[in-house]
Amino acid sequence: MKKSTIYLKVTGDMFMVQSLWILGFLGVMIVVHIFRIITAMFGDYGVDSYFDSVFIAANIAMFVIGILCIYFLPHFVGNGVTRKDYFRGAMLAAIGLSIALPIITMVVSTLGQFIINQIDQITYNNPDINSAVQEIDTNGNIIGNIISSTVQSIIIPPYVNPTSNWILAIAITSINTFIYYLIGWMISSGFYRLGTIPGLGFIIIGMITLIAKDSLLRITLNLPLAEQLTFLDFLPRSIAASTILLMVIMVIGVIRLLTKQVTVKL
Amino acid sequence: MNLIVNELSLNYGNYTALSDVQFEINRPRIYGLLGRNGAGKTSLLSILASFRKATSGSVKINGESPFENADIMQQVAFLYNKDYKDESNNLKSILQDTERYRPNFDMEYANYLVNRFKLDQKKPVKKFSKGMQSALNVIIGLAGRAPITIFDEVYLGMDAPSRDIFYQELLEEQQKHPRIFILSTHLVSEMDYLFDEVIMLDEGKIILHEDYDSLMTKGAKITGNVELVDEFVQTKKQIHVEQLGSTKAVTIYGELTKIDKTTARELGLEIGPITLHELFVHLTKEED
Repeated sequence: MKKSTIYLKVTGDMFMVQSLWILGFLGVMIVVHIFRIITAMFGDYGVDSYFDSVFIAANIAMFVIGILCIYFLPHFVGNGVTRKDYFRGAMLAAIGLSIALPIITMVVSTLGQFIINQIDQITYNNPDINSAVQEIDTNGNIIGNIISSTVQSIIIPPYVNPTSNWILAIAITSINTFIYYLIGWMISSGFYRLGTIPGLGFIIIGMITLIAKDSLLRITLNLPLAEQLTFLDFLPRSIAASTILLMVIMVIGVIRLLTKQVTVKL
Repeated sequence: MNLIVNELSLNYGNYTALSDVQFEINRPRIYGLLGRNGAGKTSLLSILASFRKATSGSVKINGESPFENADIMQQVAFLYNKDYKDESNNLKSILQDTERYRPNFDMEYANYLVNRFKLDQKKPVKKFSKGMQSALNVIIGLAGRAPITIFDEVYLGMDAPSRDIFYQELLEEQQKHPRIFILSTHLVSEMDYLFDEVIMLDEGKIILHEDYDSLMTKGAKITGNVELVDEFVQTKKQIHVEQLGSTKAVTIYGELTKIDKTTARELGLEIGPITLHELFVHLTKEED
């Protein structure tokens, strides 16, 4: 076996396993979606598109899968794979997953909409996901501010309506889910390498990174910022975009540093 | 394959797990690594397998450091008492997975072993009993054919007939596909016949590294009249003393010369062999 191909095997294996998890998640979301369509048929209200329903939940799903990513490390090292090959392989698999997820979702969503359009009593909600961030009441309380911005960044990431620009919608979802995956991976690597207390520190770093990522992405996309973060509005879009890239590189660097020489637990 | 461990130390905070460990392994043989609980066996083996880094010192396999070395890591397999409670895969997919990453893996032989150990191919591995999970580790190690294969107390939970199958297959494999096997154990009396060489570890230090046969000629039990025995053993390294009435038995460690043997015979002393188990117990017992 050539050593240069080992990480590609890792990528293949991890992509296979994790995409099964993602398909399971998307399957559950389809069931939920169908249930909502059926209830919408009897009530007098609209329904979100499948893409919109998945949009928010997918981040959490990718975050959880990212957390589980560290548990592949003992498996691979036990099979004689270096930590470096694991890292490269897992990273490529994560990128693949982040691209595949919104594409699959978009395909299912378009198909779904086509079918639903045949049933004319269903109306689609006009998504107003982005404006929701401005409606969170903070009362000028600092702790409240932190909690609300954390909560909203986890629940409501910047959103692009797929009907207005589907390529951008897929790209933004990919970036969102990829970063959520990385944060999950970073947190679990922190716990694995350094133990519980320092691990908690990585949760805080992760939260801050997510809030920063969301705000910067909003600036990049010209979307409204959360009230307590409007002071960031002065940043040019190009700087905001490159800061996101820089943050991603830093998180990737932290994961590599944490796993580079980590002891594999027996 | 050649393995050189040089001045290896490992500390966990203030606790010293390994201290200045040095040994060399050059031949494809079966090496028994013996040590009491907490002697540092698993720590040492996990360093050899690149599961962890040492605090200081070096490990060289074929002249290279194995840690994060893709070529070397592929050739070292470390099988330990692994917990499969979260493993939802079945045996077949675990073996296929191993085959993907172990260049010498022999699936045909693995399947033969699965039948020998009577393991259920389709059952999720997490539902296997402890002994069956251990048998799986044995199969991965034997069929993986890694040039350095390490079994760290891999027999745990296996019943006596299964352990016997393991020992038989191990010897047969060693004949057909010679490689370096390192077996750590404290089932010394059961496994001693497997070892070509013995390495003994006590409180993080190597206290002995010997060829099994020459080791066995080094230990002896001298039995006879108290005064005569005392006189005979005074210049020898005594590792154990038993006395019943006027009869004394002293276990000594060190080769007996022809003159020694003649003297003993003339004094009417009995020279008995000792087992590896006895040697292990006496050499690693705590000082009173």
